[in-house]
Amino acid sequence: MKSSGLRINNAELWGGAIWFAISLFVLEQGRRLGLGTVNAPGMGFMMFWLGIVMAALSLGIAVQAIKHEGPSVRALWTDTRWVKTLIVVVTFGLYGYAFISLGFLLSTIPLMLVLLRAIDPVRWSIAIPLAFGAPILVWWVLERLLQIQLPTGIFEIG
Amino acid sequence: MDLLGQVANGFAVALTPVNLLYCFIGVFIGTLVGVLPGIGPISAMSLLLPVTLSGTPESGIIMMAGIYYGSMYGGSTTSILVNIPGEATSVVTCLDGHQMAKQGRAGPALGIAAFGSFIAGTAAVVGLMVIAPFLAGFAVAFGPAEMFSLMILGLVIVTFLTQGSMLKSLLMASAGVVLGLIGLDSITAQPRLTFDRIELYDGIGLVPVVMGLFGVAEVLTNIEQGVKRTITNTKISNLLPNKEDWQRSAGPIGRGTVLGFFLGIIPGGGAVIAAFASYALEKRISKTPERFGKGAIEGVAGPEAANNSAAGGAFIPLLTLGIPPNVVMALLLGAFVIHNIQPGPLLMVQRPDLFWGVITSMYIGNVMLLVLNLPLIGMWVQLLRLPYNILFPMILLFTVIGVFASSNNVFDLYVMLAFGLIGYLTRKLGYEAAPLVLAFVLGAIMENKLRTALIISAGDLTTFFKKPISAICLAIAAIMLLMPLIPQLRRKREAVALEDGNN
Repeated sequence: MKSSGLRINNAELWGGAIWFAISLFVLEQGRRLGLGTVNAPGMGFMMFWLGIVMAALSLGIAVQAIKHEGPSVRALWTDTRWVKTLIVVVTFGLYGYAFISLGFLLSTIPLMLVLLRAIDPVRWSIAIPLAFGAPILVWWVLERLLQIQLPTGIFEIG
Repeated sequence: MDLLGQVANGFAVALTPVNLLYCFIGVFIGTLVGVLPGIGPISAMSLLLPVTLSGTPESGIIMMAGIYYGSMYGGSTTSILVNIPGEATSVVTCLDGHQMAKQGRAGPALGIAAFGSFIAGTAAVVGLMVIAPFLAGFAVAFGPAEMFSLMILGLVIVTFLTQGSMLKSLLMASAGVVLGLIGLDSITAQPRLTFDRIELYDGIGLVPVVMGLFGVAEVLTNIEQGVKRTITNTKISNLLPNKEDWQRSAGPIGRGTVLGFFLGIIPGGGAVIAAFASYALEKRISKTPERFGKGAIEGVAGPEAANNSAAGGAFIPLLTLGIPPNVVMALLLGAFVIHNIQPGPLLMVQRPDLFWGVITSMYIGNVMLLVLNLPLIGMWVQLLRLPYNILFPMILLFTVIGVFASSNNVFDLYVMLAFGLIGYLTRKLGYEAAPLVLAFVLGAIMENKLRTALIISAGDLTTFFKKPISAICLAIAAIMLLMPLIPQLRRKREAVALEDGNN
């Protein structure tokens, strides 16, 4: 591996920096919770020491990133279908919001339709029966057979 | 009661109609998820964890165990026919299994994989029956210091064996321990890192974490890369291996069984390394090593036996010490905990029906798997033709249902999505999820043992080095941590490091 020096657009360096910030947070939380003493360790004892270990490890990763050439942040998503991944993540996030308010069936059927059509489009003749059929079947199994209650939403459907 | 009496009692439990049904469901689902790339036993077990609540503890745990060893059988089908391992454990089966399929010998390859798995799986159950009671007696002597050190060793082995930078694996393991500490403190019952969210008082749920890191992250990665599969167009006939096949395979099956069983017992070891070790062993001792990689049946028989045997061996640390040696066993521990049962040295005494019922169900499960994997092979092949653009929405639907059903709380859906994103991003940067999950499960237990050991010893830190078992565990862990610093040893580690994502 080539030595590249300090390059800001280095995904590994950013990774190390984020982990370092997380480890400082853990360390501080451990300190706040109370370290106690060695013969009576407090709630924050292990967390505090883990924070220190994590900080050391993340610094190690950052140093390696500076010493050796790592991929740029952009390179991680080059030649990938990241837009499709983003669509799934956003759809799933919206689904999380709709799940309680619309209920299981009214939120899951559109979710399935989006997933079946927006990523690698499945023919409508398959997508529609599947988008309706799978959630209804799952609902029936859970509600009727296993008696697991699913949210019915404001329209009380399901 | 003697061993045979215990086994007879175990069969009485395992052979009840309801337990037979749960066993069948478990091995069927195990084979199914083993066959389907992109969904593994971890996702399936997470999904079905809530279902275990509806029955007796025996039924639920028999089913969960069936999913695990069933997936070992199913994984070989995709490796042989599609050259995509259904499971990480079947990666090595691709090498010779797919070559055999291309040469028109898919039938014997599938056949020897199923027979080898059956023989090894059954032998591992015998080993489990013999070794587990002995080890359970020995494990009673384990105090908090020994338990803490053993868990440290398990975590270090996992970080050592996962692919890529050991620094990253250790960081993931540390983060896992921190996540495991969220919730009420086990000694003072005070909340930690809960940020006044009542949902976090019981800690973060294992199911959403695992489903996010493995299920959702896997789907996101596959969508981004665009999964394409081509199934070898070979007529699958004559699944029974011929006399020459058996002669070539007998030794590898025997050696793979023994090797796999002992590698399965080691915390952090498991089925993946067993399969690779068996392949390396067979190639090394073969008189014709040049045949390996070109369709040698030994390259299928040995690893398949090893991974199934390891799956059996992996039950030993969980059942006798209460320590899960890998992520799958961590989920099984979850199933025990749901029913207020603590696996460990006292399990055999307190719940012999459960202990022996689960073990003997594995005999029955292995017979069921042989039936499922030979006559019904055509059905599994058809399943492989299911396009990924139909499969992934279904996987996501099942993850949603699994997570919600386990807690009836929409908060867990957000947790799953968050961990799905974390899993996707950390994969991109080469961080493996397996150490995090194992550490997450062990985190609270580890902390409890550490603090208890320090309180008992009045703050004497040398207590971890004065006790022989603890000292040995820590010494091995220290050696493994230092190994990557020596270039020659680092290369050796890189040679054995495995992608253990779905173990």
